[in-house]
Amino acid sequence: MARTLPLALCFIMGVLMACQFFIPHPLSQSFLDLIIKWVRIISAFALALGVRSVTLRHYERIKRRKGEWGFSVVTIVSLLATALIGLIWGVGAKSYLRLIFSNIMVPLGATMFSILAFYMASAAYRAFRARTKEATLLLIASFIVMLGMVPIGTAISPRLSDLAEWLLSVPNMAAKRGIMFGVALGVIATSLKIILGIERGWLGGRR
Amino acid sequence: MSFWEKLGKIDRKIIFLLMAVVIIIPLLSPLNLVGKVGRRTQELFRAIDNLPENSYLLITIDFDPQSMPELYPMYLAILRHAFAKNLRVIVTGLWVTGVGLGEDGLKTVAPEYNKVYGRDYVFLGWKPGITAVVLGMGRSMKETFPTDYYGTSYDSLPIFTKDITYRDIPFMVSLSAGVPGYETWIAYAQSRFGIRIGAGVTAVSAADAYPYLQSGQLTGLLGGMKAAAEYEFLNEKAGFTKAFKPASQLMDSQSLAHLVIMILVIIGNISYFALRRKR
Amino acid sequence: MVYLLLFFFTLAPPTSLCVFDTPNDAGKSITISWQKLEEEVSCYEVWRRGEGETDFQLCGILPATECQFVDDKVIDGKVYYYKVVAVKGEERAESEISNPVKSSPQWFATNRINVLVGVIFFSALLLYFIYHARKGKKLFIRRISGLDAVEEAVGRATEMGKPILYIPGLGSIADIATIASLNILGEVAKKTAQYETTLLVPNRDPIVYTVAYEVCKEAYTNVGRPDAFKGENIFFITDAQFAYAAAVDGIMVREKPATNFFMGMFWAESLILAETGATTGAIQIAGTDAVHQLPFFITACDYTLIGEELYAASAYLSKEPLLVGSLKGQDYGKLVILFLLLVGSCFLLLSALPQFRFFQVIIRFFSVS
Repeated sequence: MARTLPLALCFIMGVLMACQFFIPHPLSQSFLDLIIKWVRIISAFALALGVRSVTLRHYERIKRRKGEWGFSVVTIVSLLATALIGLIWGVGAKSYLRLIFSNIMVPLGATMFSILAFYMASAAYRAFRARTKEATLLLIASFIVMLGMVPIGTAISPRLSDLAEWLLSVPNMAAKRGIMFGVALGVIATSLKIILGIERGWLGGRR
Repeated sequence: MSFWEKLGKIDRKIIFLLMAVVIIIPLLSPLNLVGKVGRRTQELFRAIDNLPENSYLLITIDFDPQSMPELYPMYLAILRHAFAKNLRVIVTGLWVTGVGLGEDGLKTVAPEYNKVYGRDYVFLGWKPGITAVVLGMGRSMKETFPTDYYGTSYDSLPIFTKDITYRDIPFMVSLSAGVPGYETWIAYAQSRFGIRIGAGVTAVSAADAYPYLQSGQLTGLLGGMKAAAEYEFLNEKAGFTKAFKPASQLMDSQSLAHLVIMILVIIGNISYFALRRKR
Repeated sequence: MVYLLLFFFTLAPPTSLCVFDTPNDAGKSITISWQKLEEEVSCYEVWRRGEGETDFQLCGILPATECQFVDDKVIDGKVYYYKVVAVKGEERAESEISNPVKSSPQWFATNRINVLVGVIFFSALLLYFIYHARKGKKLFIRRISGLDAVEEAVGRATEMGKPILYIPGLGSIADIATIASLNILGEVAKKTAQYETTLLVPNRDPIVYTVAYEVCKEAYTNVGRPDAFKGENIFFITDAQFAYAAAVDGIMVREKPATNFFMGMFWAESLILAETGATTGAIQIAGTDAVHQLPFFITACDYTLIGEELYAASAYLSKEPLLVGSLKGQDYGKLVILFLLLVGSCFLLLSALPQFRFFQVIIRFFSVS
């Protein structure tokens, strides 16, 4: 039963949603709306499970004084403080929660994002070696694109930016589309296997 | 460890330090490198430049603070262009996290041109139900946004002389960092109501937008900070603004950063070939 | 003479007025089209009158460049009449009143027949190969080095006594890449259960977290090691993208896993994760269908599954004949698409010639709306 019910549900919903795509009737649209609402509701409940997971994990770490448990204290305190501030003073445009979002979340997110510049440099330095003919070709292409994308490149040769754009919009695009075709077919095949119950890995791999 | 081996294994910290230095120096003293203005940037600039005075320009903030370094300078540059040309600017967005940015941009640029809120420009904020909002604006702006972001009713905003739809808006620009974004506007606003669309995107996703340019669904494209800097250059050249050009300055940093990465890659390869020959 | 002058200088009315229920929609919509006038007009007005009403109401004003209007403020089943008025300054010219028309919702989107045909054909192809595989026919599957390395990676972690870190991507459960990733997670979990290696699975999406938890629990039970399963090692972190990346980086630096798996949907954080992993000296196996992030993974990881290889992983690792069969079907599907691309391009080129205009009908069949 524990296996049959999810499989049956998956099959029925899969077939219904596939049919929905071909039916423009309002009944079919309201069915879609209903499903979207259900997804939202389930997500909200899942979030509660997620919060439980975070709390339990860090509570355990603090209790056992495991590793750098001080960070767990920071996590729990931040979680509680944010939740309380949201609950007490609301979530509107001029709320304290918004203040936390713009003054803590946003700068921290931007900091993580900016690390990319440093990591790109170190990853490129470590990995870009002209080991084979293909790698050499890639290296040359990357130099053209990197130069063509900045004013220094234009200062070297005005044709560089045109060449860079050509590389991006023709060979790069062709390769991307090739991968996309494979991905699209893979998506259909995987969906079909899940709907038909052939692929059950998501149920824990029991076949 | 031989010299060649050392050259191939420069400590990560030195690389990071080098990057930090080349990014910071141009921010302190700009190099003012000016590149060639790309065709796509020129197309977008021209599309806005050719709009008659007092026409509506819709700008949508479909990005969040994480893509701010690339897209926000585009927003400022387009706003300056629009205000200089006396266009009536409507700003909205499909990302709730972009609301603050939309408002900040208007508050920064509008005073430079003595523009009055409600008469020359309006901020509609964000509304849930992405597709419904985009489709709704095609039927009735008043029904979709009965009030602006600050709660002022549609009828009390002098910028709207009647209940407008896409048919009254000759051009729009979607500054987009993903989905929903310019593709959403193409799918719902353009295919159904025929509005002309220009887009501003991050450099990494610019290649995805090329097919839309080729098919004519997009009129002009700003791809990354480079395009933002080009737009700033065009604005300044046309005498629309003398304001600080954030993207141009950041482009100097980017130019040098690219150069450093290339030098590092070359050093890595020199070491690789030297060691291979030895073996 | 005056009549004659009037005849020459009066604005001509719009002709060929055609009204019909908008096809393939949810109802409440009527489409009106007309022949554009050759002379310049300022705009067209569309007027509507419902059955039993006396006056026409203005329902739309269109620029002179347009010749079609969709009226979506009508009631299904009610009969309407339309007329179009050409306006040029003070001059107005009314078309004839249209035939009666009423709107209704449709039960089948005929404009999506091509999609239906494609889906049926492709599904049939897959089912055929799955059926063949069921009959025990051996199918060849090429080597995917990234997946061959899974066993070695788990073994290495066991030898070193270090954990394995599995990132199921940052996508939601609605992303097929996430589901494919969870399928691989099941296989990896079976191996870690057998070798008694610690498996850490930090999650970004709460639903994915619950599914990942169950997948691992089931995998441990299936290989007869439910006692070795540690629920606290499969956990939720946060749904904020970069906060998640920071937390995972922290885990990498502190726990120093021997192997990192990055499977599923990734965005800008891909390189932040992979490069941190590289600094800790872990073996890294990545797989994603996010084309933008592939270069980052290829640069910073030891093995990368590109696009559909991620979907094939579950079949490859489990060697389940039914799953392998579906891979074969996919390959033939790709062959068909390649063929259609070539033929379609030829048709498109030829259709530009007047004698091959009929090719446009075929091309139109393949366009999706």
